[in-house]
Amino acid sequence: MAQEHGKAGQPSVSIGFAGNPNCGKTTLFNAYTGANLKVANWPGVTVEKKEGRFRLHNHEYRLVDLPGAYSLTSYTMEEQVTRQYILSDEVDVIIDVADASALERNLYLTLQLIELGKPVILALNMMDIVEKRGMEIDTHRLPEMLGIPVIPVSARRKTGLDILMHAAAHHHGQGEEAMPLIHHHGGAEGPARTSATRHKHQHHKEFAMVYSDGIEDKIDQLMERLEKQYPGLQNPRWHAIKLLENDPEITKAFPLEGPAVLDRSYEQDIINEKYDFIKEVIDEVLVNKDKKAAVTDRADEVFTHPVWGLPIFLLIMALVFFLTFTIGDWLKGYFEWGLEVFSGGVLSGLEFLQVAPPLISLLVDGIIAGVGGILTFLPNIVILFLALAFLEDSGYMARVAYVMDGIMGRLGLSGRSFIPMILGFGCTVPAIMASRALENKKDRFKTMLITPFMSCSARLPIYVLFSQLFFGGYAMLAAYSMYVLGLVVAVLVALLIHLFDRKSEEEKALSGGSALLIELPEYKAPSAHTIFIYVWEKVKDYLTKAGTTIFVASIFMWFLLNFGPQGYSQDMSQTFGSQLGQFIVPFFAPIGLGFWQIVVALIAGISAKEVVVSSCAVLFSVSNVTSPAGMEALSGVLASIGFGPLNAYALMTFSLLYVPCAATLATIKRESGSWGWTLFSAAFQIMTAWVATFIVYNVGALFL
Amino acid sequence: MTLQEGMPGGRYRVQGTALPLGLARRLQALGMTHGCPVQVLRKKRRGAMIIKIRGSRFALGQAVSTRILVEEE
Repeated sequence: MAQEHGKAGQPSVSIGFAGNPNCGKTTLFNAYTGANLKVANWPGVTVEKKEGRFRLHNHEYRLVDLPGAYSLTSYTMEEQVTRQYILSDEVDVIIDVADASALERNLYLTLQLIELGKPVILALNMMDIVEKRGMEIDTHRLPEMLGIPVIPVSARRKTGLDILMHAAAHHHGQGEEAMPLIHHHGGAEGPARTSATRHKHQHHKEFAMVYSDGIEDKIDQLMERLEKQYPGLQNPRWHAIKLLENDPEITKAFPLEGPAVLDRSYEQDIINEKYDFIKEVIDEVLVNKDKKAAVTDRADEVFTHPVWGLPIFLLIMALVFFLTFTIGDWLKGYFEWGLEVFSGGVLSGLEFLQVAPPLISLLVDGIIAGVGGILTFLPNIVILFLALAFLEDSGYMARVAYVMDGIMGRLGLSGRSFIPMILGFGCTVPAIMASRALENKKDRFKTMLITPFMSCSARLPIYVLFSQLFFGGYAMLAAYSMYVLGLVVAVLVALLIHLFDRKSEEEKALSGGSALLIELPEYKAPSAHTIFIYVWEKVKDYLTKAGTTIFVASIFMWFLLNFGPQGYSQDMSQTFGSQLGQFIVPFFAPIGLGFWQIVVALIAGISAKEVVVSSCAVLFSVSNVTSPAGMEALSGVLASIGFGPLNAYALMTFSLLYVPCAATLATIKRESGSWGWTLFSAAFQIMTAWVATFIVYNVGALFL
Repeated sequence: MTLQEGMPGGRYRVQGTALPLGLARRLQALGMTHGCPVQVLRKKRRGAMIIKIRGSRFALGQAVSTRILVEEE
């Protein structure tokens, strides 16, 4: 056991948090660690790993949030990660977070965790919901039947938290023997005890989960073989059970010599017997099963209504964007004012100190204009992510998959593909990662291809700036239209692929409808703490991006636009940037973007889409591009080169659809595992953007 | 009968599935084992339905629900 000692000789306990998706595990984890987290990926895979530390009563605790899982097979990456981590020496105690209002299903994972052999503590979350429904759980009998401590907690109300940690520290020190297992199985022990050959061992005092005689016999045989062939193997019983289940990973890692013990896979039998035992547990510990109609059922009457479900969803999304634009723009005004004061202060300060003009230009026109311009969009982005976090944490997001399933089915996708698409309104990177939840590989690739067309928050600054510049009172409409256009393009692309697609074997086995399968969690009042941490993570990412990618891109742009073959130059047409832009202009001329400055901004925008805006600030040397004065200056410069409203709309369209940012490309590479696919995806997006902008520009030109 | 033919509000028992192995195991891990009661909560005219098994709700697409065999309780 990894009994490390923290500073000042305090014992340190490593705790892994395991649990089903939607069981409140993350809320509980956040209640301990707060925003003080280390977020990284598990080695080798793109599953997020969250780690936090805290101290309580002389103990230092290291908490690791394991991916949500329903079981511990090796079918999915998340389950493999959880299993391998628990088996490693890195973890001392496992806290299994269970949604008490869905105890029956949650106990299935609990039984598997217990079988892994590490100390397990069951944290019964959402007891308040259980009580509200008039149900009761016998928290005295439950630990007796499972042989592990059971602690009722409420992650939302923050009750039971200290007791849970105390139990973890205590349980870790004592080992498993401390908990007695008390089963009342009467004369004939165990479920399904009908076979004539009685199993020779009485396991009920050792293990919570005891199988039928036939299976226990097989486990014994396998254990004997395993112990002989792999001496020193820890927890041979678990390995034997996995071999019986024909688990691909364990079967490969521990091949058995000699005659085969297994005539078939016993996986289904093992699952059934576990659920049989869970039924026994539930019958004994759960009183007044679900008498009152749950709030969730009443809410679902509305939100998943066959007719009104879809309009309600569209209304909710319209409200989200309305809030993003109105409240966001109102707050943005204050940020702009602050930036103007700051920029002016720095400028006069530097001039007073008689700093060399190129350096002043770099600081004020390059860095402050570029990075500052992006920071003023922070309010819009905070509100958008607040709304998305609210939809996710309340439990509504999963319903969207159901509501959209019919429409998505016509595009050859399951309703579940729509969740990555909505998240794509926030940021494409987590959206691409969310496509992992799709079981079918082809669906995943298709979703990854169309998700970047959903307008992410990084593109918002481009719309806001150019629509305010050129469309006056219709600015909001112009910006809205981009979101609709992105959605329409995504749908058309999915439809085209569906029409030309030949079905694989797996899909043939599931043809004739969508293969949607998603849990619909109970609705709940979103936890302010969880939402705060979710939004804070995004804001941190945004600020980091402004401080790194956009900072570097702004300096680089400033360099490109102030230096040419002859060195530092005040005349921008003599610079490297201008020469590069003019070289590529012919490609952009047919779509109304044949201006070298715009071309340079778009190329720079591949680093991050906000850079299109920050580059314009640098390109046209407008120090505070989002303020009224700055906008006037910019529109004046643009008008002088012949860039009008139609060109602005073409620019918005192209920005919406062309190559997603570098971070997204890196995510697509990681998730698809293929450079070929990533390059194809980027090329496909440039092509789509060009064609769509060509249509917009040329059709628009007919009317103007 | 298949689960797809179930009526909203109806209670059924699972008799078996005709699904690819991975999906079948996933459903079993979620508690949809042989003989387990399942309740149909809502159903769209074409397509997806919401069911309740062992106290949790799931949305199922048509391709899945037409391949789950049930009998009336």
